[in-house]
Amino acid sequence: MKLVAQLEELLYQAQHTPKKEELRLSDWRILVHESEAVSLGIKDNTPGGVYTPPSYRQGESGEVFLVWADGKCSQAMVQLGSDDDAGHWQQELAQWRQASYEDPDAAHIPSPAPVTLVTVEDRAIHAIFSGDGQILFDQVKRWLTDKPSKAKMQGSIQTAWGYRHVRTSTGLAVTYQQSQFASWFSFDSLIGGGFAKRRLSRPEEQEGLWARTLNLYEAMQIVAPPVGPHTQVILAPSMTADMLGQFILPNFSGDRVLEGQGAFPKESFLKNKLVFHPHFSLLIDPLRPLELGSYLVTAEGVPAVRTVLVHDGRLQSPYLRIKDSVRWGAKPTAIPQGMAGLYLKHKEEIPWGEALQGVEDGVLVLAVLGLHTQEAVSGSYSLSAPHSLRILKGQIVGKTDVKLTGNFFTDLVAPTTKAALSDLDTFPYLMITTGVQTL
Amino acid sequence: MEQKAIIALVQSVLAETRGFDGYVIVRAQSRREWGMRLSNGHFERVSTGADNGFGVQAFTKNGASGFATSDVLAEGACQKLIEKAIQLAQRNEAIGTKSNSRIWEAPQVVAEEANPAQKAFGEIPLAELEKMVMTLHSRLRDAFLEGVWQTSYRQVEEIWCIGRTDGTNVSFVIPRAVLMHQGTVRDKGKAQSTLSHRSGVDASVLFEELEDHALERKALDRAEFARAVCGAPQLPSGHYPLIIDYGLAKGLAHEAFGHAVESDHMKESVLGEAGKLRKGLRVARPGVNIIDGPLPGDWAYQPYSANGLLRQTVTIVRDGVLEAGLGDVFSAEEAGMPVTGAGRAESYGHIPLPRMSNIRLLVDRLLPLAPLDHLMDEVKAVRETLIQHGELIEGEKNLLLLGYRGGQVNPKTGDFVFQCDGIIDVADPTLPIYEPSIFSGKILSALEAIRGGLGEGCFDAIGTCGKGGQSVASSGGSHRYLLMDADQQVSLGGEHA
Repeated sequence: MKLVAQLEELLYQAQHTPKKEELRLSDWRILVHESEAVSLGIKDNTPGGVYTPPSYRQGESGEVFLVWADGKCSQAMVQLGSDDDAGHWQQELAQWRQASYEDPDAAHIPSPAPVTLVTVEDRAIHAIFSGDGQILFDQVKRWLTDKPSKAKMQGSIQTAWGYRHVRTSTGLAVTYQQSQFASWFSFDSLIGGGFAKRRLSRPEEQEGLWARTLNLYEAMQIVAPPVGPHTQVILAPSMTADMLGQFILPNFSGDRVLEGQGAFPKESFLKNKLVFHPHFSLLIDPLRPLELGSYLVTAEGVPAVRTVLVHDGRLQSPYLRIKDSVRWGAKPTAIPQGMAGLYLKHKEEIPWGEALQGVEDGVLVLAVLGLHTQEAVSGSYSLSAPHSLRILKGQIVGKTDVKLTGNFFTDLVAPTTKAALSDLDTFPYLMITTGVQTL
Repeated sequence: MEQKAIIALVQSVLAETRGFDGYVIVRAQSRREWGMRLSNGHFERVSTGADNGFGVQAFTKNGASGFATSDVLAEGACQKLIEKAIQLAQRNEAIGTKSNSRIWEAPQVVAEEANPAQKAFGEIPLAELEKMVMTLHSRLRDAFLEGVWQTSYRQVEEIWCIGRTDGTNVSFVIPRAVLMHQGTVRDKGKAQSTLSHRSGVDASVLFEELEDHALERKALDRAEFARAVCGAPQLPSGHYPLIIDYGLAKGLAHEAFGHAVESDHMKESVLGEAGKLRKGLRVARPGVNIIDGPLPGDWAYQPYSANGLLRQTVTIVRDGVLEAGLGDVFSAEEAGMPVTGAGRAESYGHIPLPRMSNIRLLVDRLLPLAPLDHLMDEVKAVRETLIQHGELIEGEKNLLLLGYRGGQVNPKTGDFVFQCDGIIDVADPTLPIYEPSIFSGKILSALEAIRGGLGEGCFDAIGTCGKGGQSVASSGGSHRYLLMDADQQVSLGGEHA
């Protein structure tokens, strides 16, 4: 018997005909994932070595959220046991009861709402699991054949497919299939590229990513002149994502805003305070087909909707789970899946190729050390970025090591900040004026 | 699942591989976790969880490997998983992977270790734990009303069993518990957060805290310090004589040296040459030692590797000279170091990698420093001790870096970056405070700059190491403070544009 069916039976019974009155539920919610995944890695030019062998993973687990008859709540992680006898689950139920706590705002299971359909499954990925997985081995072989001869390559390909089940006592019963494909590679652990969506990458995407990475790797072999005090700093798309993930996304989490732990107080959202330049908007969009951050319903059973966090530079809403939405007095919003599902838009974005031509004196930052140590609430950063790329007169001319100091909130409000579109990434290049020194 | 049941599971899986002409490692794990988080006086979450599962790593007779893992322990799942692992190993051999047959040389080990916890996992009922944590949280809030406080408590029990084709069967229990206070403080239009923790192996940490309130005092001191940092100026970037606390010293030892001597990194490590450990290389002044090994009762305690070998304590640097590395059975010989049982994995679903347990950076040249209850009293004592022993470098700032917020190192280039909570100039009798800024540079220069230590050894700086995308408990420390000379390759941050 499947885990989701076992849990449904258990919780329905505990709600309507409990074995003990103190174990009576008034409401409940179940989330279960059934998944299979395969992966293959490259370490130091070796495919499938002892630390990165071809791997298969199977799992069936999830979580339950319970509201007891006295209004207390419990939440627990669950997995399919070695047996599915009722005694096991009754013991679990008793333990969950013991772990119950008072949280009136959380004790709320909404009624089902219409679900907007979005494609989150690529049947070609399902075929990998029913077939022999040759696609993974072929990709790795191609990488190793095409890589620069002197480069030490690291890389990985992972693909997953499975079911997501969400059930609630209020009548929501959603089951859908979803898939995932992620790959990344790097040369000399310095320059890399990656892809992550709910579909396989297309040949033109693979070629584009490979060509871009190769060009940057070649530029990295040349030592370039140092930066000056007026050098423009350009964050590569993956860096833009990292900076947003460190300084912006945590400050839009509803619970942090409500508890006064974010950069922006609730009043600033209610007054639509200007916090970015009016050209910038920020949104969570789980309705883009086959994107990694897309889903049909959240883990709490809330149907996917587009949620604007910042519109024309002004605060609109934090992202709100059910409990936070009750406290906020609004509907639950979309929820980002890590950084996936989050989109930063600029009204005057131009293609990166065009933007690059206009850079007289710049430095392209591909990665920094220690970003996760920076203070998210203040937005201030002090970072070293060895192995950045110098840009002079519209050309990437070689490698340089720099140190960055500034404040990311200030960067996003500055009129001098520009954005450039990348056709291989969901985040833009960010062109900022900030403190830059030779490392 | 209990320890006996896990041992039986491993034995039954191995029994099903008897017809296979290669080699198999089976790892099974049963994990239980209770956690709770309180925010501003109310429970945000109380959760319970369990995760049981096993992984099969199969090697063809030529040494190509495949791995399969499942959290489904139902009948039939074992056979399917074994078949998958063997099939993947055979596919891997067909693509010409580099073979590795080192596991055949590993010694057979049979051991069943008792649970080192003083209080068994469920001995203190969850409801009682909730009351204790609420009491501690409420006391803290009452003592510092201007702060926004979150308190969290987590206790974990991992039961492991590792079995191998050669008859090895090793089982052990890893208990862990941690209490954390996180505060957000605002002043002068700025906000700073602070995090303090107390760790151990079981719920004893709560009883101890209710008795002595040591963590509460630390959290309050850190909150006061964070408030001072809100209005503090930024330090001009430069190279300074430094005093770093043991949390930062643990970060330096872990990120900068521990990772650089792990046997799977030797081809890309600044401490490697042609893929071998640069044994005999002088990396620090005489009297500097770096040691890694499990400590009973510690947050990162693990007595055996995830490949079933005894975990050894290793002196990585002895008297300033690089002596040994952290060797995993699969890569130690190639890296030019002995096997030390360094393989650790996040769970049954991960491939073990060579990594640290508790890493300590110790020096022979030591100044005494009596521990004091309050942070700024201790900072004053540091200044007085330095003056008394003629160790304050005159005519320039002597900067004490407090609190470890994490860091990152590129082991290939030797570049490191660490972040602290704030900085105090102990050369100035008014002890001015500065905003935190990055402590960065080259790892070999940083180690070479260490000139002495202050105070007794403190090895409870805990963290989670994320190597290879796997989260594994780590810990370590040093003397209460380490003294470092100014070095042109080691700098503190920079000014804003």
